[in-house]
Amino acid sequence: MKIVVCIKQVPKSDSVKIDPKTNNMVRDNVEGVINPFDKNAIEEALRIKDQLGGEVILLSMGPDGYMSSLRDGLAMGADRAILLSSRAFGGADTLATGYPISQAIKKIGGVDLVLLGRQSVDADTGQVGPIVAEYLNVPQVTFAEELRFVDEHTLYGQRLLDGATQSVQVTLPAVVMVRSELNTPRYETPVNIQTSFEKPIDVWTEHDLDLDATRIGQAGSPTTVQKVYAPKREGRQTVQLSDDSATAVKELLARIRN
Amino acid sequence: MNKMAQSMIAVYVQTDGSMVEPTSLQLITKARAIANGQRVVALLPTSDADQTVATVKQYGPDEILVLADDRFAAATDTEIADGLYQVVEQVQPNSMLIPATVVGRSVAPRLQAKLQTGLTADCLDVYFDGDTLVQVKPTYGDDIMCEIICADRRPQMATVRPNVFQAEPAQAATQVTNVDFEFHPEAHIKMEKPTPIISSSANISDASVVIALGRGADNPQLIEKAQKLAARLGGMVGVSRPLTDHAEFGHESQIGQSGQSIAPDLLINFGISGATQYLVGIENAKTIVSVNTDPDAPIFTKSDYAYVGDANDFMDALLSSTRV
Ligand SMILES: Cc1cc2nc3c(=O)[nH]c(=O)nc-3n(C[C@H](O)[C@H](O)[C@H](O)COP(=O)(O)OP(=O)(O)OC[C@H]3O[C@@H](n4cnc5c(N)ncnc54)[C@H](O)[C@@H]3O)c2cc1C
Ligand SMILES: Cc1cc2nc3c(=O)[nH]c(=O)nc-3n(C[C@H](O)[C@H](O)[C@H](O)COP(=O)(O)OP(=O)(O)OC[C@H]3O[C@@H](n4cnc5c(N)ncnc54)[C@H](O)[C@@H]3O)c2cc1C
Repeated sequence: MKIVVCIKQVPKSDSVKIDPKTNNMVRDNVEGVINPFDKNAIEEALRIKDQLGGEVILLSMGPDGYMSSLRDGLAMGADRAILLSSRAFGGADTLATGYPISQAIKKIGGVDLVLLGRQSVDADTGQVGPIVAEYLNVPQVTFAEELRFVDEHTLYGQRLLDGATQSVQVTLPAVVMVRSELNTPRYETPVNIQTSFEKPIDVWTEHDLDLDATRIGQAGSPTTVQKVYAPKREGRQTVQLSDDSATAVKELLARIRN
Repeated sequence: MNKMAQSMIAVYVQTDGSMVEPTSLQLITKARAIANGQRVVALLPTSDADQTVATVKQYGPDEILVLADDRFAAATDTEIADGLYQVVEQVQPNSMLIPATVVGRSVAPRLQAKLQTGLTADCLDVYFDGDTLVQVKPTYGDDIMCEIICADRRPQMATVRPNVFQAEPAQAATQVTNVDFEFHPEAHIKMEKPTPIISSSANISDASVVIALGRGADNPQLIEKAQKLAARLGGMVGVSRPLTDHAEFGHESQIGQSGQSIAPDLLINFGISGATQYLVGIENAKTIVSVNTDPDAPIFTKSDYAYVGDANDFMDALLSSTRV
């Protein structure tokens, strides 16, 4: 079983700032971590490998700083990692992210299963997975909360819809996007951290892939952020309740009951 | 069908066999509101044309393009995207709105890749600036929204969050057209019909009272009390994102940008700071009461009633005065 897990590095802090002049994220001093859902994807890949054997390859597109997340993923137990990194990939929207990722998966070759997180916690689109699946021309299972192998080529999954669940059975190769309910990611162990430094991280640029140069980076991205702003939200007239909780509740109930 | 028809806003109407997903209807109303002379066209893949067309008609699109096939009762994302792709290629809409439901968010990017165009995720608003669809979505950090456009390619696609717009019935001379398309069954995958989750058939987005818990109210006793209070008031418990780590609170219980938008008559926030991503989910609540130990917590500026103090104290006081 050859499994590719796509991982994105996201800022650790919930409150990243955007420079209102340049529309760019202020990345200074923001520590990067593996997108939490991608840890569930790595965990699932490792469990499948334990069960069926094979190889777990991490794949990420981003600046050199993403190396630290790949290293963390290797310390969880993945076998090797590939970083797509080049100025030419910069400023990509989801379409221009999914394309080089799918070309890299083709280059890796013989991949049975591609796992991704359900969405990134920063930009939050959840679009990269289906785009990769479309480019690879394989079935997709999104928002998977349960996965089980029926036999070596057949995966049973359950996905969570809005207020419903849906069972799906798919023959590999396939692309699967996972929810956090799927599993609990393992911690890195000292031994794994040690050995992670011996595992290879290959860096591929646009020259290492068979790519249409017009479909990558900012130039290959149909969407642009035209404006970033602080919304004017209507504040509310706030009634301050008394400090004593019993009195406060009385005041509140008196007011909202009439 | 006239290929060079006047400019058009297409809305993907999601169905589950015979039921129309409500966000789709909200988007028809929204599309009508911003159309400014453009045709509003519903794209309706369905296994029960009679019933779903009747529902969609009540919301007054200019036209319904029906993709009728029994297999849409349990179609894969790819099959739906493929059907929509065939129709979009025929009618060449200027823009396309898609519900940001799980199905919508799974189908839309697949369609986007086929069309080689832009897609903005999970918008809270969309409006036209000339021919350009400005797509408004919240983004990282405090009090930041962004506007995304897709300048050169068509259609301009956006998924739009459920319940930010209201569906309003409307009269129109709706034209109903069965479109030419071929259902291409996808190999190697079999989807079952969705099974409704019984326990959460009640949804916080429909609840009239919501007791919301945040990191400042994250302890088992308080959670239990909140559930008791909610049950007494005929309401439901919702949470801010940090509490979705608990087994009992799934994504369905999360309020905010990456969770649910709610519109209850009464919302009581316990130990929630009021991050923008949370606040966008509660804008439509009628009466907001907030409890927080920090007098400067941003949540208070968006509240009708403020109690500066401990969540547990206020909860106990509420419970004792609502005893039946
Ligand atoms: C505030 C903001 C809003 C944005 N909104 C949009 C938008 O609406 N539409 C749009 O097209 N683009 C948008 N972008 C650009 C988008 O964030 C990038 O294209 C990003 O690289 C991928 O999208 P995502 O983070 O939403 O990933 P998602 O699609 O949410 O990620 C899903 C999964 O894909 C995998 N994955 C994602 N990125 C990578 C990567 N770089 N390397 C390896 N695996 C990866 C991971 O497994 C991840 O869990 C936005 C960017 C910002 C900063
Ligand atoms: C892309 C993105 C999407 C996001 N989407 C969402 C979303 O959909 N929903 C969401 O909620 N968050 C979302 N977040 C996270 C959001 O930014 C905040 O981190 C989160 O809302 C904070 O939750 P909180 O208010 O419960 O916790 P905190 O910010 O930690 O606030 C806890 C509050 O409790 C108060 N408190 C402490 N002790 C007590 C006590 N004993 N009694 C009373 N009050 C007390 C504190 O004063 C504080 O104000 C998102 C973030 C990002 C980046």
